Amino acid sequence: MDRRTFIKTAGLGGISIAYGCQSNNDRDIFSLVTAPEDFVTGQAKWYASTCMECPAGCGIIAKNREGRVIKLEGNPSHPINRGRLCIRGQAALQSVYDPDRMMTPQLKTNDTFKPISFNQAFDILKQKLQTSSEKGENQIKMLTGINSAPLSTLFSNVLKDHNSSPAAMYEPFSHDSLKAAHNTLFSKSILPSFKMENADFLLSFGADFIETWLSPVEYIGKFKSMHAAKNGKKGMFIHAGPYMSLTAANADKFIPVTAGKEYIVALGIIHQILKNKTIFHLPETFLQELKNIVAGYDKTTIQKNIGVEAEDQTLLTQTLLASDRPLVLGSAATTHADSSFALDMAVTLINLILDKDLSLYDFKKRHQVENVMTAKETADFFKTTANDGTDLFLFYNTNPLFTFPNHEYLTQIFNRDDIFKIGFSNFMDETSKEADLVFPVQLPLETWDCYESNTTCISTLQPAMGKLSQAPSIGDVFLKLTNSNQEFDTYYQYMADYLYANLEEKNKLNFIQVIQKGGLFPFTKRSQVLKPDFFKASIDKASLRALKQTLGTMIPYEKKELKFLAVPSIRLYDGRGANKSWLNEIPDPISSIAWETMLMVNPSTLEEYGFKHGDILTIEAGNRSIAAPVYAYNGVVTGLIVMQVGQGHNGYGRYAEGFGTSPITLLSGNPISDITSSDFLSYLITPTSIKKTGSLKALPRTDGSRSQLKRKIALSAIDDHPEKSHSGGSHSDPGKGEQHGEGLTMNSFPLTLPTQEGYDKKRDIYPPHEHDEYRWGMIVDLDRCVGCSACVAACYAENNIGVVGKTQVTKGREMAWLRIERYQDQNIEEKLIFLPMMCQHCDAAPCESVCPVYAPHHSEEGLNNQVYNRCIGTRFCAQNCPYKVRRFNWFDWDRPKPLNLQLNPEVSARSKGVMEKCSFCVQRIKQAHNKAKNENRKIKDNEVMPACVQTCPANALVFGNFLDKNAAINTLARGPRAYQVLGYLNTKPAVIYLKKMVQKL
Amino acid sequence: MSQLTFETINTTVLNTLSRPGKIYWCTIALLFAGVIFGASCWIYQIFVGVGVAGMNTPVHWGTYLINFVFWVGIAHSGTLISAILFLFRAGWRNPIARAAETMTVFAVCIAGLFPFIHLGRVWLVYYMLPIPNQRTLWPNFQSPLIFDVIAISTYLTVSSLFWYTGLIPDLAIIRDRSNGVKKKIFKVLSLGWSGKTGQWLNYTRAYMLFAGLATPLVISVHSVVSWDFALSVTPGWHTTIFAPYFVAGAIHSGLAMVLTLSIPLRKIFKYESLITMNVLENIAKTIVFTGIIVGFSYGTEVFISWYSQNIIEMETFRWRAFGHYAPEYWIMVICNTIIPLLFLLKKCRTHVIWLFVISIFVNIGMWFERFVIIVGSVAHDFIPNAWGHYRPTWVEGGIMVGAFCLFFFLFLLFVKHLPSVSMTEMKEMIHKTE
Repeated sequence: MDRRTFIKTAGLGGISIAYGCQSNNDRDIFSLVTAPEDFVTGQAKWYASTCMECPAGCGIIAKNREGRVIKLEGNPSHPINRGRLCIRGQAALQSVYDPDRMMTPQLKTNDTFKPISFNQAFDILKQKLQTSSEKGENQIKMLTGINSAPLSTLFSNVLKDHNSSPAAMYEPFSHDSLKAAHNTLFSKSILPSFKMENADFLLSFGADFIETWLSPVEYIGKFKSMHAAKNGKKGMFIHAGPYMSLTAANADKFIPVTAGKEYIVALGIIHQILKNKTIFHLPETFLQELKNIVAGYDKTTIQKNIGVEAEDQTLLTQTLLASDRPLVLGSAATTHADSSFALDMAVTLINLILDKDLSLYDFKKRHQVENVMTAKETADFFKTTANDGTDLFLFYNTNPLFTFPNHEYLTQIFNRDDIFKIGFSNFMDETSKEADLVFPVQLPLETWDCYESNTTCISTLQPAMGKLSQAPSIGDVFLKLTNSNQEFDTYYQYMADYLYANLEEKNKLNFIQVIQKGGLFPFTKRSQVLKPDFFKASIDKASLRALKQTLGTMIPYEKKELKFLAVPSIRLYDGRGANKSWLNEIPDPISSIAWETMLMVNPSTLEEYGFKHGDILTIEAGNRSIAAPVYAYNGVVTGLIVMQVGQGHNGYGRYAEGFGTSPITLLSGNPISDITSSDFLSYLITPTSIKKTGSLKALPRTDGSRSQLKRKIALSAIDDHPEKSHSGGSHSDPGKGEQHGEGLTMNSFPLTLPTQEGYDKKRDIYPPHEHDEYRWGMIVDLDRCVGCSACVAACYAENNIGVVGKTQVTKGREMAWLRIERYQDQNIEEKLIFLPMMCQHCDAAPCESVCPVYAPHHSEEGLNNQVYNRCIGTRFCAQNCPYKVRRFNWFDWDRPKPLNLQLNPEVSARSKGVMEKCSFCVQRIKQAHNKAKNENRKIKDNEVMPACVQTCPANALVFGNFLDKNAAINTLARGPRAYQVLGYLNTKPAVIYLKKMVQKL
Repeated sequence: MSQLTFETINTTVLNTLSRPGKIYWCTIALLFAGVIFGASCWIYQIFVGVGVAGMNTPVHWGTYLINFVFWVGIAHSGTLISAILFLFRAGWRNPIARAAETMTVFAVCIAGLFPFIHLGRVWLVYYMLPIPNQRTLWPNFQSPLIFDVIAISTYLTVSSLFWYTGLIPDLAIIRDRSNGVKKKIFKVLSLGWSGKTGQWLNYTRAYMLFAGLATPLVISVHSVVSWDFALSVTPGWHTTIFAPYFVAGAIHSGLAMVLTLSIPLRKIFKYESLITMNVLENIAKTIVFTGIIVGFSYGTEVFISWYSQNIIEMETFRWRAFGHYAPEYWIMVICNTIIPLLFLLKKCRTHVIWLFVISIFVNIGMWFERFVIIVGSVAHDFIPNAWGHYRPTWVEGGIMVGAFCLFFFLFLLFVKHLPSVSMTEMKEMIHKTE
């Protein structure tokens, strides 16, 4: 190399090295370089907002750590959910971090989506609106899910500016039949809330208020205030319906009734009541007409034709008449055409007959969902849209192509090329896929808004975290589209203006306080107030005409055929939860099946048709067919297939697509569910053919056995009513007297508290542990637990629990620290009992002694700590745990970005090869310690609330310190219902269960 | 045995050390490939996670620990033959003592591998050792797994020393009859053995001492292994019969393995004159005895569960026999207790084919015994809601195949490079019979 070449090479090389060495700026972007004023690293901020996962509108508080929402909890001051959340509410934050969330708008060109910028998308939107409005009137149609009042107004304004009618509000579960019944009898199409807490007898004909009906968290709370053991007494609840839903499983008695025939039983009850009791508060002509209508529905005919025992019918009538404040609830959210209307009519009539003031109806407080279109209106909307000259179709926050069963016209809309379809959606779901432009907008946790959960409360929404995408809020987009109203720059101002208008005291401080509190409650909208007895005026003979007509069109007793019924799912609602991994991973509380939609069929029906549990059946109705595995469940009435709605997506995202089956597909092919023949959708159909097309060896089930084999796990105590005591005597009431037992056997053993007093030289070789000041423990009240699984979701969110997916659940590797064990009652086999099972934090823990490296460690406060860093994965602890609550990390579980942003920084994420389990939320205990230490005091009772305790809608869990004499758990643990699961093993569990109180009828 | 002389013994045995042929090397290569495959499976498992095996909740222990117990069991009868029968002066054990003791050493090594394979985080296995550290964290001496670490390492040490001590005079014979590099190697290995009276005196004492040390280990090590299970609370594991039951089972399986190994050995190396039918017959007789003990244990377990009237215990044993793992249970019962009874017939216990086939059955049966105990108990324990089934995966299969390959690989290397029959002890035997 000569000198020149050397200099050239060195020079070039030097430049290129220097160029390559520039700092990579992108890597060094930190969030919150200029943090908000009140922001302290390491300290959580809580923002009050509202859950928009279903129309109920529960208040939430979102925990923000370092700029990211990591946990949702119920807003304690919110009147609807009083600090509690359901399973869907707990999982709501997963939609923000959904790995399949679209970050940019997508424009369809030549049948493929191409990403474009938000500005481009907005320009297209604006231009389309402009051209469409110029073409003439009503060229633009808009369909939305349930919205806040200001947002709806804004939509309407924009549409009005563009010569079109207001947006149509659609929800799949719109409670049409109940609304229609109220409309017929009270002349108002309303959905009042029910004061269930004041009832002493509750009869439901399918209304599944623990799962999805109207406002589940609210009703679980109300239900438990009438149906939980208080001083050894509790209210009565009977459920009569086609299958034992979670709600029905919580009833004192479940009466199976052929699907679609519940109204006959209800009419039979009216028949009997009118025969046995003289009613004075209703007009004579009305009663006469009613008597005529129900004349044919006598006990024996009903028993003969639909199989409901005359004895049961008498029982229902007698109990209704004997109760002081009975309340009867009607159909579930999935209607069965006219029969649901007849049922809801009959139910409302029973309430009216038994209580002249309808004092358990709260007409002041009406559910927001009453404002959405009925299915009939929705179908009409689709029909007009498909047939008139619509030019532009907008949709927001709704997925009708998945949720609306009869979508002939709906598909037409999407098939018409001359209609430009714009979807405001973050996900490529079934409907978005068919759109021409998909325009992502901010999700509820990122936006300002206010939502009227019911007529007595406005809940506010505020951004609980910084933006993850550049998407604007839908309000801001539409605000920019208005021609007339230019006084607001942002939707925040628009919404604040609306809220201001509703404030009593119109000042900024009050406004801020309302936002901080999470809403305006109590609140009354003057225009909507109804007098408690407004309905009396409208009750006359004429109001029964509709019922008479409907009954005339229906065939009461048909020949027996195998029917198919679609029901809503507690986990996925109408399917909107399907891409949230937690909701798929947490098993259905009734079937204990995760990630799969089952066809639930009575075993005797299976036998009759020659099918087996685990078979894959292909069901056809009209031109549609679905295939799904069979689940044998004796809670289903014979001759019926029950299937949950929610799975079976062919879009939406990685957790939704390809898992399970959607029954809606099948309904769409059926002429019966055609909305033209009835005003109500029918989720109950008669399939044209059912064939076995295969079978599954392994189902993704999380349970082993439904029976507890008399092992004294989930115990119940039979209500000792003097005249009824003989009924439970034969089984020598398991558990009762056990705690007074002194022995060492399964038949006689004491309750051994995990404190010094639980030790006895006769039973124990080792001395007790020394705990100073604290010995944590928990009470699980089986009488209150409804099995809703909200605690499980809360645990997943709080403790960074891995989601393992369908294949691994099938292999039995789910990671849930807390599970709902579903057992048959030891005394009454057909009754189910739900038992939350988590680490028992035993004082004589079998896991601690077998670990060679002290990874399970007994803390000074009695906690059974698992030291992840110390664990080498021998798994002996899990083998030796009688409760089988330890979970092993078989792999490093996949947590696709940005789901990792949800991780709780206070809980270490576990790597492969490590054992983990419930820690009693030790991070929360530590936090309480810090606070108490700063204030120089001890931790107070109820100050520490593990995530499960915090969210339990039924108040079934209590946490506390056994060494605090005044702690609630100490009183409860010494109560007559207290026992320990597998107490005879003398492991001294710190989780004390309270027996379920079973009432015999 | 009268036809045996010192020289015939020497030549018979040393002839086996001649240059091996192609078939030998092919077999060695094949086995080595198996070892590599097993090792790759393990490496794959380390990188991906133990989930590649079939274990789950509730069955957290699978084939890895089944194989662990299986190989420890195999090891035991080697010591039984070489040490206990030595102390009992049972002369018939001499021809097979070397092979049996070698089997012990290799089996313990392989058994010792399985707990490592089993671990979730094998790279932290040293946490189990009492290494002084600044956090003064010690292993938990309450844990049966720590008992295991101590017991297995002691056993490996003692049996290796015992094996090596016995080898010394034989190594010297090889040294004397070889030259070149081989001579140098054996010179080192034979530790300067010259056959002086003093050396013989020390040798016999040391041999006796190690035999004496190894004898209680046969009982204690497998008792400790059984405590991995018996010290837990799990129904089906938590029983007092486990220690003797495991020891008997271990010897049962080990004797079968001795038969499995020595019959081909005898055939290939033409050891018929050394390992006589009488020796094999004696092993077969012992197998009948251990088989009956094992069968008695099965019966006792069932009886005690019934006698306790504990519904959980009763369900565990009902389920073992009639539940999901019923085929495995009946394989275990038939292979371990029924089939060995064929040895009651003289024809069966004196016929090589019968002996070999039955020994294979016993090996299979004993593997399934561990399967039934380990998997069958936890799959169906206290909480019915948590019940679940386990099925091994190809990774576990690969590692198991790899382990067997490793065993036979080592054993084949041994038979071609070291005397597989103790020349010294054979000569002693001639002396005694004379």
